Amino acid sequence: MNNKYLKQIITVTLWEYKRFFKLRNELLGILFLALMGFAAGGIGTFFGRESNEKTEITIFENASDELRNSLAGSYIINEISPDEKNRFKESMNVEKDGMLLWETQDGFALLAYKEPRNMNMLQNSLNEYRMIRALDEKNISPEDFGYVMQPATIESEYIFQPQSRDRKILAGFFAGLMFLGVFLGFAYQFTGITGEKQLKITEQIVSAIKPQVWMDGKILGITLTGLSSMLTYLIIGSLVAAIYFQFTGASAVRILSIMHLPSIILFFAFTMMGILMWNSIMAGLASAITDPNNSGKSSVMMIPSLFAAAAILVMIEPDNNLAIFLSWFPLTSASAMPMRWVSTEVGWWQLPGSFLLLCVTFYFLRKLAAKIFRISILISGKEPTWAEIYKMIKQD
Amino acid sequence: MLTEKVLEVKSLHKRFKTVHAVNDISFELERGDIFAFLGPNGAGKTTTLRILLDIIKADQGEIQWNLNGEQSKLPESSLIGYLPEERGLYVDLPVLRSLVYLASIRGMDAAKANSAAMEWLERMGLADRAKEKLQTLSKGNQQKVQFIASIVHKPAFAILDEPFSGLDPLNQELFLEYIRELNTQGCTVLLSSHQMQLVEKIARKIFLINHGKELYKGSLSGIYNAFGLQHTLELIFESEVPIETLEKINGAELVSALDSNGAKVVFSAEKKLPEIMKDLSALQGITNIKSQNSSLHDIFLELVKKKS
Repeated sequence: MNNKYLKQIITVTLWEYKRFFKLRNELLGILFLALMGFAAGGIGTFFGRESNEKTEITIFENASDELRNSLAGSYIINEISPDEKNRFKESMNVEKDGMLLWETQDGFALLAYKEPRNMNMLQNSLNEYRMIRALDEKNISPEDFGYVMQPATIESEYIFQPQSRDRKILAGFFAGLMFLGVFLGFAYQFTGITGEKQLKITEQIVSAIKPQVWMDGKILGITLTGLSSMLTYLIIGSLVAAIYFQFTGASAVRILSIMHLPSIILFFAFTMMGILMWNSIMAGLASAITDPNNSGKSSVMMIPSLFAAAAILVMIEPDNNLAIFLSWFPLTSASAMPMRWVSTEVGWWQLPGSFLLLCVTFYFLRKLAAKIFRISILISGKEPTWAEIYKMIKQD
Repeated sequence: MLTEKVLEVKSLHKRFKTVHAVNDISFELERGDIFAFLGPNGAGKTTTLRILLDIIKADQGEIQWNLNGEQSKLPESSLIGYLPEERGLYVDLPVLRSLVYLASIRGMDAAKANSAAMEWLERMGLADRAKEKLQTLSKGNQQKVQFIASIVHKPAFAILDEPFSGLDPLNQELFLEYIRELNTQGCTVLLSSHQMQLVEKIARKIFLINHGKELYKGSLSGIYNAFGLQHTLELIFESEVPIETLEKINGAELVSALDSNGAKVVFSAEKKLPEIMKDLSALQGITNIKSQNSSLHDIFLELVKKKS
């Protein structure tokens, strides 16, 4: 790599970075999210409080004390005489509210204007009441019942000890970061490349620098933009966490125990390479699109959800053949291999092997992206199909 | 005086699906030339220029550059300035920022690019708008910024593809002035245009191209000497122009209607003026006759006719 090439890449990288990363916009975005969060939290608390308020339930005066006790925890109990049943029903029609519960020979009867919002709660209360009655009928003491219901105990001994749950959280965190980085990158790649094509700047640029330099600078610049956004969110998140620990007195040790440096280095390397690779794919796709609003190719933007799904799949079943394939397949390995590594036994050579394959894939994809860009920039009018692009790449 | 070739093109060919866009084109430029590539739309001018810059590959042919004393297939981008036919800049960014970036990717130091861009902006009366977004400028001013973007890094060789397109007459004159100034500063200029009346005012050498093929190449004075000796007359009739009758006059090489009452007729150099006047006197209804020098446009049409 010569000096001129490096200098040009740095120029393009910084240009793309400064063009897209606006700290002010990032902070405004976070502020907006925080406001939305507070608003959602406020609304949730308001409705939560409302839903926590006890509902009224009416029973007959002659109901058993056990039933009263079972319902008292969750309901405000009103009592009426059984003769007042019809009057109660009529008033329910007017007030469009209320419920009347009474015991029958086989169980219970419920009369309500409409199905109660918290039917499960009522069911649970009545289950509890029925269980007490049944134990009493069968002469079973609560101690005997507890003994019967005790679970079986297992004393286990495993030869392979998987990594702690903290490592899985860390791997999941990096998969999440990668998801954020890739989707941010997508937005910027599409805006950047299709925008430049529409503004017809590309010919000016490729007369000055090689398409490969431009593409490399763009991929690096946009990756850097994505990383900066991630970092901004991380810093703000840490500040919020610090404030939370300060005010709630909760222990920060839990968070610190997750911070395992060797794992962070490993996950970061995979995440970075994954973002770079996906940015190369998206740069190539964007190069083939003339108008993103009317292009059928825009739907491929959903492909990266693959790696998020892969991480979840591997976490559930880390040892099956699909998980092994996903941890090596370059489109999913950046999130799947770290997740597999923390979930099951992985040979030491598999980590560098999968990483190397990811690097090689990135190397060739960025070359392919530059080729697609080179042949697509001069096509005006109809957007080229994939078949046409393939044919032109072969001819180039 | 010793001349120095800075660009030599030999037997260039480029075919697209069904079109032979560039068909055996050869030419050369010397340091300090203002060389014009002339032809109608679709003649192959832009394709040739893109091949010179390696934006597209030729199927066949040789290109030899020699801008900094070393022969190469493609010179350093810092030595070349390019104004593409398809104009475009970052409309949502400040003018100066875009100019500095485009100069930087051509290898110019950012500080120098800044002062060079400001110099040109001042010269074009746009210095006070340097920090405004390009989209806030008028179309004419955007064209000026586009021109600056192509030459701000002080190239040794400027390729200007259709530099006058979309400009009003006033701005066309200004651009002619800018190109002359650029050339005076030592920059060799290769421009392409279909606006021949403008090129006539500035080019020293020309290359006429049609359907990808060479029609003529040489000095501007040379083409007038070779093909410009015809008599061009503008005739006005009191009623409709008898085009067919005019075409039948011996020596009439090109007849084109100006409007329903007027026509331009180019007679061959061999046809003497008294003979022409005698033939015309036989026609009825001529109210006015104006004599003109053959323009590059006339010569081009004449050459197209001859070649076909």
